[in-house]
Amino acid sequence: MKRGWITWDQEELPRAAFDARLAAVGDHLAERDLPALVVYTDIWKSNHARHFSNFMPYWNRALLLIARQAKPVLLCGLSPRVYPWIRSVTILEEILPSPDLAKRLVELCSEKGWKRIGVLDLAGLPYDLNQAISSAPVEAVDLSLPLVPDEWELGMYRHAAKMAREGLMEELAGGVGLVDHEFTGLLERKFRRAGAEDLVVLLTNGKTVPLPARGEILGERFSVALALEYRGHWVKVVQNPVGHASGLPSGASTEVLSGPYPYESGNGALVSARWETLRDGVRLFFGDTYWRTAAGIELV
Amino acid sequence: MLNQDRLSQLKDLMAERGWDLLLLYGHSWRKDFFRCLINVNFSGPHALAAVDRSGEVRAVMSDAWDAEVVAACPASANFPHGLGELASRRGSVAIAGVEMMETRFVRPFSNPVSATLAVEEIRRVKTPREMELMRKAARLADRGYQQFAKTIAAGMKEYELVAEVEAFLKSNGAEDNFMLIASGGTEVTGMKPPTERRFQWGDSVTTELTPQVDGYWAQICRTLVLGEPSAQQRESFAIFSEAQKAAEDFLRPGVNISDLARVQNDVFRKYGYGEYTGPKYTRVRGHGLGLHCDENPYVLEDVNYTVKEGMTLIAHPNTYLPLSGYMAFGDSLVVTANGCASLNQTERKLFEK
Repeated sequence: MKRGWITWDQEELPRAAFDARLAAVGDHLAERDLPALVVYTDIWKSNHARHFSNFMPYWNRALLLIARQAKPVLLCGLSPRVYPWIRSVTILEEILPSPDLAKRLVELCSEKGWKRIGVLDLAGLPYDLNQAISSAPVEAVDLSLPLVPDEWELGMYRHAAKMAREGLMEELAGGVGLVDHEFTGLLERKFRRAGAEDLVVLLTNGKTVPLPARGEILGERFSVALALEYRGHWVKVVQNPVGHASGLPSGASTEVLSGPYPYESGNGALVSARWETLRDGVRLFFGDTYWRTAAGIELV
Repeated sequence: MLNQDRLSQLKDLMAERGWDLLLLYGHSWRKDFFRCLINVNFSGPHALAAVDRSGEVRAVMSDAWDAEVVAACPASANFPHGLGELASRRGSVAIAGVEMMETRFVRPFSNPVSATLAVEEIRRVKTPREMELMRKAARLADRGYQQFAKTIAAGMKEYELVAEVEAFLKSNGAEDNFMLIASGGTEVTGMKPPTERRFQWGDSVTTELTPQVDGYWAQICRTLVLGEPSAQQRESFAIFSEAQKAAEDFLRPGVNISDLARVQNDVFRKYGYGEYTGPKYTRVRGHGLGLHCDENPYVLEDVNYTVKEGMTLIAHPNTYLPLSGYMAFGDSLVVTANGCASLNQTERKLFEK
């Protein structure tokens, strides 16, 4: 869960980045003759709302409403007591308390006179929300957008990947002989102090796939899979102290990082790849974060 | 890994309701329905446990590594395909957690009914094994708070303290931890994730720590003052302490959860702070604990639910008061035959450093 430092550094990710992304949505809505787009977000499925507004909910769920030629509005299940904080870490100015998200959305559509609205990945909405919106007197139109990471976003991913890759490399050798819980704690301290919002650590001594820590002492050929979120941008790195990956093998399995979830089996513009080799009966795991371009695939 | 007591309860539920297939869905944020039967901490984002009327269990995972870990039953690593296979079976289908499922995952099933409330009700009363894990998590919450109080210092940033506490909890066996924090004075109206704010002398620092051990979450809420507490901070804490004690004195099997909220709020009313017990200043006066860190029933005056022996919950009258800003105070509790017992052992005081 996100309990690291959630912030927005405008030198790192300028408002112009969000303006450009929102303008592209506006163009898309105009092409479809739709007045607004609804983007769902919750603790874990937060990539899309973060992309458009830098909002990363630490709790509860919300709807980001992006209307053509208007500032985005957040329909939020969180208490108004935390709205000043939300405004301080996002581009958002207008936040509407919405204990019942669908009801508030329908009210808003009625106030604006909207009969149809776009919903980003309508079938991906939680079932209760989908049912409530679909039965409302507003036509919900499924929209999919080509959410290809832009240069600003790639910059954030590169920072996150560098942090994860180099930080893990620094700690790997020291992990041998530690209980896996201790090594996990060591990574938590290091990366959260460096500004990570969240991390998920899986480890193995090579008899199983990497798993959450379970009280094993780490041997010389342990592998660790680290998923790290830096200011809303998730990357994955898999390393072991035995050897470095010599390139991405063709049989590597991939997870998409540029979809709605932090990571999910599949392919996309930004992926994490993972693979394993067997050495003297021990499974060694490798992996990293990659950016797929027209020219091929490159390390982020 | 496979909770046999729970399986037996679920089979009884299916027979009673006439369900042929019961699905327990979990995603990375809410793994609880899945883990109440198959206690595997999956990486995600999706996992589904399926039980048929004969009691046969199978798992459908969205990650190949997760599927390899599930050893207690057959497991598929292809989520859409696994769902399709289950949907092709004949008979009635009930889904616990259906409300949180992506709609595309529900569509293959013909007229599924929600099993969410029924399974939540079963989960509320903990089995002896579940109680062991709750106690373990509560002990870790106590130790985590000790670490919090030991580590905090004026000049330190909020997120640095959270990093230290997080590291401690993970080093000592926590799978995860839900933690909120706030620091400052009367301007503080609620807790949130940590910021770069540096702690200052005189700050009131509130936190709720909620470590998760083998799937089960226990919580502790405390407030610490950096330096000598002011008269207002002490006065405020006395009200919170009295409200939390009122909850503990009142809680026993058979009482209504609305009254558990009322007895806490009445203390604030007695001192003239009744307006600070509403949604403008606070969320809930407590909530259930177990495989989710914020389970139903919520302790609110408008929630009607009869408390049962074996339930685990936290009573926390956390709210804003103009005396000293937002304050947090509460313990995880288990409902016993004649009352309740705290799962936490941390001293009940306004901490100071």
